[in-house]
Amino acid sequence: MNTLFPLGLPAATAFYLCLYLATLVVHLIFMHYVLAGSIYLAFGRLMGRARCQACSWQAILVDWLPFATGLAITAGVGPLLFVQILYGREFATANLLLSHRWMAILPVLIVCFYLLYLQKSAWIARRAWAWRSVVAAIACAGFLFIAWSWTENHLLMLDQAAWPGIYAAGSLRYESAAVLPRLAAWCFLAFPSLAIELAWQGRLLDRLDEPAAAGMQVLGLSPVRRLAVTALCGWAGTLLASWAYWPSIPDAARAAITGPLGGPWLAVVAVGLVIQIASWGGAFFSDRLARGQLIVMTAAWVATLLGVAVVRETIRLAAVDLAIGGQLHQQALGIGGLPVFLVFAVLNAVAIGWCIRTVRGQVTTGSEG
Amino acid sequence: MTPLDHYPTIDLGPLMKGLVIGGLGIFHVFLAQFAIGGGMLLCYLQWRHMQGVCRLARRFTDDYFKLLVLVSFVLGAVTGVAMWFTSIQISPRTIGTMVHEFHWVWATEWTFFCLEVVAGYLFYRYGPRLPDRTRLQLLVLYAFASWMSLFWINGILSWQLTPGGWLENHNVWAGFFNPGFLPSLIFRTISAAAIAALAACTLVNAVPGFTREERQSLVAVCARPLVFMLAMPLVGAWYLGTMPADSRGWATGGSVPMTLFLTMAVGSSTLIGLYAVLAILRQRLYVNGATASLLLALAFVATAGGEFVREGVRKPFTIREYLYSNSIARDGVADLRRRGSTTDDPYPLRDQADYPNEQLVLGAKVFRAQCSVCHTLDGMNAIAELAATWSIDQRRLNIAQLQRTKPFMPPFAGTPAEVEAIVQLIGWRHAGRPADWALSEDPAVLAQIERWLEEAGTGPGNARLALGARRQ
Ligand code: HEC
Ligand code: HEM
Repeated sequence: MNTLFPLGLPAATAFYLCLYLATLVVHLIFMHYVLAGSIYLAFGRLMGRARCQACSWQAILVDWLPFATGLAITAGVGPLLFVQILYGREFATANLLLSHRWMAILPVLIVCFYLLYLQKSAWIARRAWAWRSVVAAIACAGFLFIAWSWTENHLLMLDQAAWPGIYAAGSLRYESAAVLPRLAAWCFLAFPSLAIELAWQGRLLDRLDEPAAAGMQVLGLSPVRRLAVTALCGWAGTLLASWAYWPSIPDAARAAITGPLGGPWLAVVAVGLVIQIASWGGAFFSDRLARGQLIVMTAAWVATLLGVAVVRETIRLAAVDLAIGGQLHQQALGIGGLPVFLVFAVLNAVAIGWCIRTVRGQVTTGSEG
Repeated sequence: MTPLDHYPTIDLGPLMKGLVIGGLGIFHVFLAQFAIGGGMLLCYLQWRHMQGVCRLARRFTDDYFKLLVLVSFVLGAVTGVAMWFTSIQISPRTIGTMVHEFHWVWATEWTFFCLEVVAGYLFYRYGPRLPDRTRLQLLVLYAFASWMSLFWINGILSWQLTPGGWLENHNVWAGFFNPGFLPSLIFRTISAAAIAALAACTLVNAVPGFTREERQSLVAVCARPLVFMLAMPLVGAWYLGTMPADSRGWATGGSVPMTLFLTMAVGSSTLIGLYAVLAILRQRLYVNGATASLLLALAFVATAGGEFVREGVRKPFTIREYLYSNSIARDGVADLRRRGSTTDDPYPLRDQADYPNEQLVLGAKVFRAQCSVCHTLDGMNAIAELAATWSIDQRRLNIAQLQRTKPFMPPFAGTPAEVEAIVQLIGWRHAGRPADWALSEDPAVLAQIERWLEEAGTGPGNARLALGARRQ
């Protein structure tokens, strides 16, 4: 615990942790799009028909949210696998204690998924505008519920002392002062991610290069400025929520975050954050987002997410007993199959790249579908 | 492997647990097979189109793919995650062991899942605008990826029933390519092809815009994969042949519900197969909407029967010869006989205050740890009912020698005091749960129980069953 993450940890544990974190970051990238995107859309829809139609971001979201959800789920399976190798007992226990409450995320996910498809269907296009607000609001509430459940489950994993009591009470709830601020931090953090992702989509769809036509302004803001405001408000909210979350983190975990284990990673988060805030500030005032600027910002963003994931992990490492787990990780590493995984991971990544390149090359226009 | 890990047991009765995992499993398997077979069928249709022999195929492919994406991408993917979560709810240790032993196989499967999602979505979104060659390439990748996820998962699932050489060497590939691997892979592939064919026939009749002749020509093509069902009896028999003798025995007469489920599966598949064969023999393969839906429903019943059998015949194990249904390691029984099955259990009872003495509390904890996966106290399959007519010594004997009482129960994995605690619990509940209940601590009784326990040994009951079968 006194060395930079992951250097001081047992080798097997460190190995699985790195895989877990790498896959988790991918999950976060898509999950943020879904979570912040559905919130953005739900609020956007309240502004009335004319403003919604002027907002190209809402159009992109309606178009892409279903696929992004598919990707968020697919990308969630990776960390789901590794979290069970790393903390199988804790994860299963939290699942069992929350029981139906936990399982409820699945039907909710199905409903939200279909609502997203409904949102872009011909059926809703024929309905009164208010229907879109309703559908967007329900989908947004559903995703918030799912995010809340993951947060509650995660915090319950860390609080072993509470397990027997919760079981005896049969309450299916984990009440802790940490849940709300932590959930809020996740929700706000999703917005800077959304802004960068939308910026890329906008660039690829050639919507950021032309100067903002008056018709594209919403609430007096151009598309680029709307993204900048989204990202900056997201960061402000994240900082505020983290500040509220801090007191509920146990002392040992706080020491781990600021000490040698997590400290340097916290610094990575800080640097990435500063770069992002500065770039968005610049974009807001110049009302332009150049490609180079976006690339720098994206690099800072990925580094920030990785830093956040590691800092998040140090809290857990301070809470769980690695003595038993470490042995299991060692055993797991002795089990065959890693080469097979690596070979197919590369082959399938190549195949995925090939699919995207080929289709991009052959589909030249527009984005309807 | 530790003898037993303690988890907070959930309070669904065994019927509910069985229905939840069984019901969800059936739904998921059906959808997954639809997606896998659908991928293969679409490749075939697209190829026919490119050969110029089926000009409608391209349009129908797009329709069919929309359905495939809306149904199987959403429901299939989420029910897949749901299977995982449900397995944790029902038996965290079983799924935990499967994940641990095969994590690289799961991880490999996941990479194919990613490819399936990307290739599939690109086809869904851009397919109508792509040239034929690219369409075929995407479909082939999609179909291959989804079949490969079956390939990987099938190895893990068949390992549960026939772990084969893995039991000796714990080699991941010995477990993966187990005796049941090949027959069950072929069997599932055929089911997938059949389900997709029936779904396609239903859809041909459901989408507007085709004339009767066009429908007929499409159905004739889409129904072709049903021919593979002719191989089902053979592959099915092969699969049954690889099963452990006692499991096979239960599915073929030994256990009434298991036999019923198997009959259901075989009967429905036979009906579908017969219809297909007759139609093909008569050279007039037309299936109208109603018939197609009916056949599809039969296919669902067949899947249901098959999945229930697969879940059921593993008893008393969830991983044959390795992990018992109640999450006690086969090798851990002897240890638990000495240490007790509840000694390290950190979880109190939810209704602890209702018990008049500590012995009954112990009994309830033992019941929770060892019996509650399959029994309730007084609902479905309630032990108090099952042992209602037995004398107290009969209860002691039959519980101490649980694996002999019924070979689909695991051996009792606790101390003589724990046997007596559960016997007292049955007696107390049977007496209407009086407020006072005397402790039963006669050393002579415990000594007798200990002898009975030793006599039955710590192994499963099916060993004796196999012996008996040989003697017949
Ligand atoms: C793998 C599942 C399973 C487990 C675990 C299990 N049982 Fe059973 N048990 C069964 C089934 C199935 C039956 C048959 C019920 C019937 O015949 O209706 C049964 C029957 C019984 C009977 C009646 C036997 C007879 O001959 O009529 C008793 C008593 C009993 N179980 C007690 C227990 C006790 C006590 C435990 C825990 C120590 C236990 N069982 C654990 C599945 C299980
Ligand atoms: C689209 C809806 C989803 C949302 C909004 C969502 C949200 C979240 C959030 C907020 C966290 C962080 C929890 C915390 O640290 O407090 C998280 C973690 C995680 N999510 Fe998702 N998630 C979604 C879907 C999924 C799905 C379907 C899966 C599984 C396939 C999944 C797998 C994971 C895993 C494994 C973690 C890490 C848990 C841990 O380490 O404790 N997510 N998710």
